[in-house]
Amino acid sequence: MTDGRQLLRVRGLSKTFPGLKALDDVSLEVSSGEIVALVGQNGSGKSTLVKVLAGVHQPDPGAEVELGADGRAGLHFIHQDLGLVGTLSTIENFDLGRRLGRSAVMPAPVREEARRAQELVGGFGAHFDVRAPVAKLSSAERAIVAIARALDGWEHDRNVLVLDEPTASLHGDEVDKLFVAVRRVAERGAGVIFISHRLDEVMNIADRVVCLRDGRLIADVPRGGYDHDDLVELIAGEALSAAEEVATPRPKGEPVLRARGIRAPTIAAMDLELHAGEILGVSGVLGSGREEVAATLFGAGLGTVEELEVDGVAVGQLDPRRAIAAGVGYVPGDRHREGAVMGMSLRENMTLPRLGPLRRLMGRLDQREERKEVDRWIERVAVRPAEPERALELFSGGNQQKVVLAKWLRNEPKALLMDEPTQGVDVGAKAGIFELIANTAAAGAGVLVCSSDAKELALICDRVLVMRDGEVVAEVASGTQLSEAGLVRAGLGIARQNGNGGEPATSGAEVSPHA
Amino acid sequence: MPEKIARALSFRNISALYIFAVMFIVFSIWVPDTFLQWNTWKALFDSQAVTAILAVGLVISLSSGAFDLAIGAELGFGAIFVSWLLVDKGVGLVPAIALTLLAGGMVGLVNGLLVTKVKIDSFIATLGMSSVLLALIAWVSSSQQILGVGASLESIGTSEVFGLTLPVYLMLAVGLVVWYLLERTPIGRRIYATGGNIEAARLAGVRVAAVVIGSLIACATIAAFAGLLVTAGLGTGDPTIGPAYLLPAFSAAFLGSTQFRGGRFNVWGTIVAVYVLATGVKGLQLAGAPIWIPDLFNGVALLLAVGLAKHEAIATRAGVVRRLLRLDRRGSGGSPAANESAVHDLR
Repeated sequence: MTDGRQLLRVRGLSKTFPGLKALDDVSLEVSSGEIVALVGQNGSGKSTLVKVLAGVHQPDPGAEVELGADGRAGLHFIHQDLGLVGTLSTIENFDLGRRLGRSAVMPAPVREEARRAQELVGGFGAHFDVRAPVAKLSSAERAIVAIARALDGWEHDRNVLVLDEPTASLHGDEVDKLFVAVRRVAERGAGVIFISHRLDEVMNIADRVVCLRDGRLIADVPRGGYDHDDLVELIAGEALSAAEEVATPRPKGEPVLRARGIRAPTIAAMDLELHAGEILGVSGVLGSGREEVAATLFGAGLGTVEELEVDGVAVGQLDPRRAIAAGVGYVPGDRHREGAVMGMSLRENMTLPRLGPLRRLMGRLDQREERKEVDRWIERVAVRPAEPERALELFSGGNQQKVVLAKWLRNEPKALLMDEPTQGVDVGAKAGIFELIANTAAAGAGVLVCSSDAKELALICDRVLVMRDGEVVAEVASGTQLSEAGLVRAGLGIARQNGNGGEPATSGAEVSPHA
Repeated sequence: MPEKIARALSFRNISALYIFAVMFIVFSIWVPDTFLQWNTWKALFDSQAVTAILAVGLVISLSSGAFDLAIGAELGFGAIFVSWLLVDKGVGLVPAIALTLLAGGMVGLVNGLLVTKVKIDSFIATLGMSSVLLALIAWVSSSQQILGVGASLESIGTSEVFGLTLPVYLMLAVGLVVWYLLERTPIGRRIYATGGNIEAARLAGVRVAAVVIGSLIACATIAAFAGLLVTAGLGTGDPTIGPAYLLPAFSAAFLGSTQFRGGRFNVWGTIVAVYVLATGVKGLQLAGAPIWIPDLFNGVALLLAVGLAKHEAIATRAGVVRRLLRLDRRGSGGSPAANESAVHDLR
């Protein structure tokens, strides 16, 4: 497939963020007609690499990025959200880039346009109604529209298409459809960089696999030079002695939260038991269902829970108000959209979920008492600067997260549910947040931590549930195999190191059909 | 502490008061004979009390994140409804007032249900309601003035205490109650949280639908009360007065949000804004400006106020980012501690 002409050459690319080397001396080549898979776990530097290529980030000085021999090759990026306008038809979405008509105000030749749009998507092996709003198309068809639009009118052998997790929201045969299109792109001479968490897909489509770990490019192997297990090893790295780092498991207390039949758009069915004094992790790649567990339990998402007990009392389906009353707290993953009212002050955010105890005669809010209490919490969770009247948006991410944590800890929750607790948090504040989580559990609450960061789960959890395709596929207890590598393995589909609940690894180059 | 005082007196915090001072000096020199008369100021206070009450009501709905574009029509509806009850239906004064406030509340309830249950954007819902109310006003009044509302209602609009009419004191009373509600009670905290980030408020256990409905009810009730005072002041129910109050109220609420509370809608900022805007209009009128000046003045003030508020938010954030970048370039490596001190140093 490869005709050898280089379209993209990256040499010695590094990118340093404050306190973090996200990319370290990465070199990469993509040739015409080649599909290169870029793999690596969360935080390995994949997205940073994409952003540097897209020009969002400036690389550190000394990097060489060359686009084709004459420097005129183009890069096209298709992100997960595709950038289509859902209410417009395929034809109109194509038009957003470039109109077929003679000028912007002249009417476009309608029939001609439709024919061309049909041809374009047909070129990628797809056939669907190009007049329908793209929101009505299947996910794979939408992805094809985005790809067709990106490459429309360009000379294919001059272009590199970067697909950033295009299959995260696709199902079995949809993936096949998309792959047909991606192969067509390569056959016409474009280069493709394909980023995915799903190793079966990578094995299916990639001519070459490039693996990043901790910002370094650790492997660049051609098709046939690896099998599924090799890939997992590459991504997960050697089993570190992480198990030793974990604190001795606390004795399990009574269950504080017991859920049966958790269902959500990405969760098939799941049961869960959280004990007092326990830190329970939920691991899994994007789309595994991990993202919806905490929100569903709290009654904040789209999912439902069949039976739910908090501290031995059956509570049924919760909503946020009732969850708080029952003694459940929820730290959402998206702090800006859901976690806090950024325009309000630290003090106001911290007391929002429970203002009742501060209410005095005639509904007055006792602000003096409130200030005292907030000062105590600022001290306790070490927010810097210690300025309760400052708007929350003017604090750093780590300090914002400490405030969000404190606002729930103030309620003395029996169960604390957390999504991505260290998202957008700098390294220094991370340790502080881990300590807060540990203290919360030590004080007798059950803490549920859902995270895409296996390293962090291995470090702080007593027990981790690993999810894949909406189900729990493994349960790893601390002291045995609880390590970053072990979690990544289980999440990617190898259960060989995990005793209970695992299913046999899927093997070979087939796309695994979804249940 | 001096830092706190400096911040409190900064132009950014109380720009309206500085603008007022400048206008006062300018008009004192320009048209000293009329501008410096007590009667001018008395008329100003009296005539703007209704606008101020309306704007204070609007502050509640805006704080909860809901636009009430029907406040003008709600005011007009209150004005007609009370005169219709008194004149056409022969209802007594107290029940008439109570029913008018109740009717205003019902309008707000419908607004609230449209926004929270039918999930129509508050902009559109209240715009639609505004048109429905104008139709209702025309129907009830047959598009005629309703004359002879009676001395008892008129006395509410015209009797004077310490040289100012009763509505001025009622305005202060409404302001005090709403200020207490918004700034001193858990309810107010929840209203601001809902307006600040409705999803985060919901996840913190705030009943956001109830908050929005309640805010729109309060806003519409206060608007009906303001309408009642207009009728009391005129002695007649006028079916055409409502819409003219819409823009001044919005201008004042938005200009008020740039005062005192750093971008948050608030009662005293709004009342000050009403009078600052009115002073400007009055001065220009006394100086012989044409009749269309109030419209121009209010429109420009609204645009400036919203523009300034936006600019301020952007400037604040940009300031933090600039400091962070500067530290970074200095090669301090941008350690978390340095970043924090940069955030800390801001302002």
